[in-house]
Amino acid sequence: MSGFETYLTSRMTGPDSHTLASYKKHGGYVALERALKEMQPAEVTESVKASGLRGRGGAGFPTGLKWTFMPDPAKDPRSRYLAINADESEPGTCKDRVIMDEDPHGLLEGILLACYAMKCEASYIYVRGEYRHQYDRTVAALEEARAAGLVGKNILGSGFDCEIYMHKGAGAYICGEETGMMESLEGKRGHPRPKPPFPAGFGLWGQPTTVNNVETIFNVPFIVDKGPEWYRSMGVESSPGNFLVGISGNVNKPGVYEAPLGTNAKVLLEADHFAGGMTEGRKLKAWFTGGSSTGMMPGETVDVGMDHDSVKAAGTMLGTAAMIMLDDTQCVVRAMQIIARFYDHETCGQCSQCREGCQWLHQIFKRIEEGQGRDGDIDLLTSIGNGMAPGKTICALADAAAIPAHLMVKHFRADLEEHIRDGGCKINKTGKCAAGHSHKAPATEKAEAQA
Amino acid sequence: MTKITVNGRELEVDASKPLIAACDTAGIDVPRYCYHPGLEPVGSCRICQVEVSEGGRPPRVMAACRTQVSEGMVVNTEAAVAHDARRECLEFLLKNHPLDCPICDKAGECTLQDYSFQEQQAAGRSTEPRATLEKRVDLGEVIMLDQERCILCTRCVRFQEEVTKKPELTNAGLASNSYITTFAGRPLTGNYQGNLADVCPVGALTLKPFRFEARVWNLEKSSSTCAECSRGCSISVEVLRRGDVKRIRPVFNPDVNQWWMCDTGRFSFPKVNDAERLTGGLIASGDDLMGVTTGEAIRHAATVLTGTSKSALFASPFLTVEEAAEVKILGDSMGADLLFISPAANDLKDDLLHTGDPCPNRKGLEQAGFRAISAADAATMITGLDAAVLVGERILKLFAGHNLGTSKLVTFDTSACLASGVEACIAIPFYVEKAGTWINVDGNVGLLTIARPAPASVAPLERTLGELTTAMARSGAGV
Repeated sequence: MSGFETYLTSRMTGPDSHTLASYKKHGGYVALERALKEMQPAEVTESVKASGLRGRGGAGFPTGLKWTFMPDPAKDPRSRYLAINADESEPGTCKDRVIMDEDPHGLLEGILLACYAMKCEASYIYVRGEYRHQYDRTVAALEEARAAGLVGKNILGSGFDCEIYMHKGAGAYICGEETGMMESLEGKRGHPRPKPPFPAGFGLWGQPTTVNNVETIFNVPFIVDKGPEWYRSMGVESSPGNFLVGISGNVNKPGVYEAPLGTNAKVLLEADHFAGGMTEGRKLKAWFTGGSSTGMMPGETVDVGMDHDSVKAAGTMLGTAAMIMLDDTQCVVRAMQIIARFYDHETCGQCSQCREGCQWLHQIFKRIEEGQGRDGDIDLLTSIGNGMAPGKTICALADAAAIPAHLMVKHFRADLEEHIRDGGCKINKTGKCAAGHSHKAPATEKAEAQA
Repeated sequence: MTKITVNGRELEVDASKPLIAACDTAGIDVPRYCYHPGLEPVGSCRICQVEVSEGGRPPRVMAACRTQVSEGMVVNTEAAVAHDARRECLEFLLKNHPLDCPICDKAGECTLQDYSFQEQQAAGRSTEPRATLEKRVDLGEVIMLDQERCILCTRCVRFQEEVTKKPELTNAGLASNSYITTFAGRPLTGNYQGNLADVCPVGALTLKPFRFEARVWNLEKSSSTCAECSRGCSISVEVLRRGDVKRIRPVFNPDVNQWWMCDTGRFSFPKVNDAERLTGGLIASGDDLMGVTTGEAIRHAATVLTGTSKSALFASPFLTVEEAAEVKILGDSMGADLLFISPAANDLKDDLLHTGDPCPNRKGLEQAGFRAISAADAATMITGLDAAVLVGERILKLFAGHNLGTSKLVTFDTSACLASGVEACIAIPFYVEKAGTWINVDGNVGLLTIARPAPASVAPLERTLGELTTAMARSGAGV
């Protein structure tokens, strides 16, 4: 139907796709068995390195290269861990959820292969607190795998031992930051750690640790099974393979789709086998390329290849490839205010600039949205953003909060100026958007209800 | 050692310490809130940003407390970009700060004020409402927390975790609603709570005994040595307008107490603020004591002592080495043994600083030839004597509750004694009013300086003792 090879979603075929039986029917755990019997750990790493797989958690770092940062076990006898980041909390992102729901064994096999490659004795899956169903599915799969001798001691009679532990988060966005996640796993507040030291040298409980995203690890069994050459035949040179793109907002068919990296965003938005166009054929006003942290781009920029380098060249990031599409009945200032509120709520509060800056940005966007904007606010927004990032804080949350503000000023300055000049939002003043939803500021709505 | 260049100066520094520590050693001041040399650096306040160039790469602004020094590193703490970064940081830090400096005990020694001045960050651009949090959170006997003033540097949290090893504080809440609190709101415990107010770089943690007692710029600060145990922590004695000691704080001493001191020592200052102190001499007159000049009291004492055959001398463990030398001369002239009263060890001993031995100069006195004796044994001795001289600060307190029989007593203390045999009381200065030396449990010298002048009628102990020795010689010679 789509003219490209799919593999990520190939096993998500029926109501029992999450079971071991279904997984095995689709050739599951074959790659693991072959790797354990025929491949040296270094060969697995080499294979992943040669495939060009890039991390799907947002930063797009080459996965194989990351694995090689782990110290040589001959020289460093400490315990080694793999931590799986399943704290999928970037607004708009819901791809890892699909994997844990529909194909948890694929994740487990990927973990076992990665642990074999890096000689990790255990892996921890840190699952977002709200993902209860996904957690339960993965736990059930883990129990099945353990019963089948695929997890634990002497896996498939190969002498390789690997334990997998599940951990539930408590709903904090910052615990999706890799060092914040490790702190949380250790039972502490999820305050990101200053780097260096990096996780490969000083990770979980101070031991060498690699942190990978769910979707990243999910790719590994396919690479081991079919080889790096096959993998490189999909996607683009700098970002090979397929990815899961989550499309939400004012589109006809919101959902998670598999596509080769580099697929044009316009195709993803408009093609019938993807999102199927904007609702009621309306105009795309603004879109997020990959979750809220990547900021809003004007609708005209949608003609861009969805791979790390192309999106970067367009002025933002691929992020988690969670596209949020806003049509022209939406108020971008209001959308920005909601994003700013999110970061104000979710900053861990460690670094001065981030703690105070996130709050400040939110306060200003809220004022502008509610008609209390002032001359000078726009320049102040830019200045606050410059004070927070880049690279001025312990982790990248300050950057994630500042980038949307910068892009807002860069691309939607006219909307901000209009709000300041007109004392609020036109869309708000008419009361309802085309979909019939109220777009009044909550405070106004509350006051009216009381009156 | 690693060679780096800071502000054009070549330095050889310890590579195991962060860049900010290297700057400290060279006397180059880098602003800091969360960094404290006695605590693990966390790099969260970001005020210590300086310009760093490594390996010939273009310079970057980095937090000096989390930057490892490397060979050939070039640092400029005064670069325009570094000042800009620090100004930005201050604007953020002050965004929700209540700016209640006029009623804040920290004002005058607050680094929010100092760095704002230094970096010329005079006005913030925020017009948003400031956060309103709890301004009076009682954290126990010693500390009051003002959550509005707090900048969340977590020095207090780390002090509890790393120094006392009793994690009792934490930051709770998220983001700009974060605040410092104790676990389950329980009061703080332990003998080191006062240090929390020292490590707090702003006015968030204040000492309850010091709240609203003085403006710090009116305090005259003198370095001295703590009197409360044989550790002899280096301290700063802070006196308001030549009157009361308002505060005692630790002074960094790498050999003795690092940056810390215990609350027993810190809050011992009421002992030297005694309004009822003796300021001259007293001599026996019938059943009562009569106020006289110090000179008259000394002459009376000389008469009493020369007229008795069996007399002895007991020194206080608070005597300085210098005073002990003078006591020795008097003792030798009396033919008395050199004894000092050694109170029993108390239960304040801990793993950190307090030794449990309430004698600040035990070692100094022992080296001067004095022998320790318990107050009870000394009292038994005194009952068998005709006369006894009790010399030094707090000596009368050490004999409190002991029966001294009917022997005649001559006392040198900051207060008087009303025991039946008292013949003469001579006033002496408190330890904060004299210069001298104590030797601590490990043999380190602790210096006392004059933090406050003693009243004009109170002479140094060396002098009054000397006068007594002379007067006794005259009296004995029938002059």
